[in-house]
This record gives sequence, structure tokens and C-alpha cells, in this order.
Amino acid sequence: MKIKDAEIISLMQNPRTQDKGVRALMDAYQSRLYWHIRRIIVDGDLAQDTLQETFIKAYQNFHQFKNDSQLYTWLYRIATNEALQQVNKMKKMQKTDEDPEYHMQNLVADNTEGDAEEIQLLLQNAIQSLPEKQKLVFMMRYYDDLPYEEISKIVDMSVGTLKTNYHYAKQKIEDYIKENYER
Amino acid sequence: MKEFDIEKLERKNIYTVPDNMFENIQENVMNDIKTSKKAPVFKLNWMYAAAASLALIFGATYVFNSDNDSTQKGLNSETTYTANTKEPKTEGELAYETLKSDLTSVENNNQTVENQKSNNVYASKSVSETEKTIETPKPVKTVNKKVETQMNEYLDSFSNSEIAELASNSTQDVYLDIYN
Repeated sequence: MKIKDAEIISLMQNPRTQDKGVRALMDAYQSRLYWHIRRIIVDGDLAQDTLQETFIKAYQNFHQFKNDSQLYTWLYRIATNEALQQVNKMKKMQKTDEDPEYHMQNLVADNTEGDAEEIQLLLQNAIQSLPEKQKLVFMMRYYDDLPYEEISKIVDMSVGTLKTNYHYAKQKIEDYIKENYER
Repeated sequence: MKEFDIEKLERKNIYTVPDNMFENIQENVMNDIKTSKKAPVFKLNWMYAAAASLALIFGATYVFNSDNDSTQKGLNSETTYTANTKEPKTEGELAYETLKSDLTSVENNNQTVENQKSNNVYASKSVSETEKTIETPKPVKTVNKKVETQMNEYLDSFSNSEIAELASNSTQDVYLDIYN
């Protein structure tokens, strides 16, 4: 992955090979970034739009990328910001009398595959019940297996705070599932 | 459920994904990049905008002032041009006339009259007029010579005793002759 990143960076930095670099960047990171965005936003169409915007922003601001951080960390940061902006827009468009947690659980139910296991559905509902920061930390650690040091660079939080947040998030999710699992 | 460990749960993506989604995303991104390359958006920093505005103001002021100066200069040149039309003589012509007048002044006995006339020529008269003024001293010169011969003839008619008597008043006569 390290060599791959170096190749992508080299292609992106040369104006003649920039298009090829964008292609390589998307091939390498589209899946990981899409699922990261999708878990935050849940809605499929909006996640697709947000991923597109992430790649366009990465292309437009590639001159700001510094080699002292890893490429995927920088991309995750852009994707997270774009996804959170999208969530804020969704909240503004949401009906005032509707419970935000209830709204997100409905969205999860509408976007889930028909044959999804109940426990997996409960897990997604439990994640949506978490506060914003805990949700982000939990998803990046649990699904993407990112080191705390890298998550720290993405969300601008100390490693100690991240560990605490992850611990609380995990506890809340387990309690939610225990409470709501019927079998 | 009494005991549950989330770490033991399989990490699955349970959301539905449309077919060819990533291909569509890549196509849309590349199209957007191509259009942004064709029509680049310039983000203007406010400091650069302020500097450009100041430069424009000072530049416009400078150009406006220089235009006024040039119009004034234009008017001045026009006046000099019109003045030149009144006096169309070149420096060479003037120098020639000065030299000519000096030479004629050596020839002529009455130098003051000649210079006064040539000075009038510098002020406002045309070349034809100066020629006339140069021609005018000729009758004066002849008149002076006639008077001189008449005076000589008149003096010859006097006897020695009469000349001696006239000589006693000569100082006064010479004085009067100069101012006649």
C-alpha cells in the first residue's frame, strides 16, 4: 500500500499524469471511503454524491497534501468533513417534530438488504444512537481498523480521548443490542 | 441476551449498493475535472483585490492628469504654432537678417535708424515687409549726400573772413547737426 500511495502521489503531482493519478486514487480508495461515508450518512444516493465531492476536493486541493501524513488519512479527513456537512444539511431539512434517532433508524431500515441479520440491523441502529464524535471514532476503529494515531489526525482529538470515546461507544452499543435483541 | 461481545461479531456491510456505482462515480468525477480544467475558477484574495483596486485608482488618476497636461501642452503648442504662423521665419533666416542689417549698418551712416527698423522686423513683420524696410534707407542715403554737396557748395561760396566768423559758432552748430 505504501508503494501504491507513492505512485499515486507521483502521478497526481505531475500535471500531465494527473488524470491517471485521479483514476488510481479512486481505484485504491473508493470502496473504503464509500463505506465510511455510507455508515455516517446511511442514504445511498447522498453517500454517492458525497464520495464524488470527496474525490473532486482531493483533486482540487492536492497541492495542499503534505507527505508527512499518509494519503488515506488525508482522504479520510476530507470524506469525514464532507459527510458531516451532508448530515447537517439533512438535519436542517428534517421535520422539527421528528426524533433524530428515530429518523436515522428509519433510514437504516429503508437502506438495508432484505436478508440482513437482525443483530446486524440492531448494530447499525445502535451506532446511529451514539453522539457524533463517538460514532465517528467507533466506525473508524471497528470497521476500518484504523490506528488511534491516524484517527487522531482525522478528527483532531487526542489518542487518550479517542480511547475513552471508543470504550464508551462500545459499551453503549452492547447495552443497546442486549436490550433490543429478541431471540 | 445476557452476554454479548461486539468484537466477536462479523463486520458486515448490510446496506444496498446499486450496480456499477463506482464506475458511475468515477465517470462523474472525471467529467467534473475536465469541465473545471476548461473553465478554471479564480479565487481572488481580498488583499489582491484591494491592491488591484488601488492600482486602478492611481493609474486612472495618473492617466487623467497626464491627459490634461498633454492637452495643455497641445494648446500651448497650438499657440506657438499660431505665433509661428504670424512669424514664419526660421532661426537661420533671422540670423541672416541680423547679419545683413549689421553689414548695412556699416555701410550706412545712420546706424540707429537701420537697427530700429530691423527690430521691428523681428517683432511682427513679414519677409516682404522687411525687404521694403531695407529698401527705404536708399532715398535717405541719397538725401544725405545731396545735403552734404549742397553744404559744401554753400561753404565754398563763403569768404575766409566769413568762414572764420562761422567757426566761432561751430560747436553749437555741430551739436545741432547731430540732433537734426
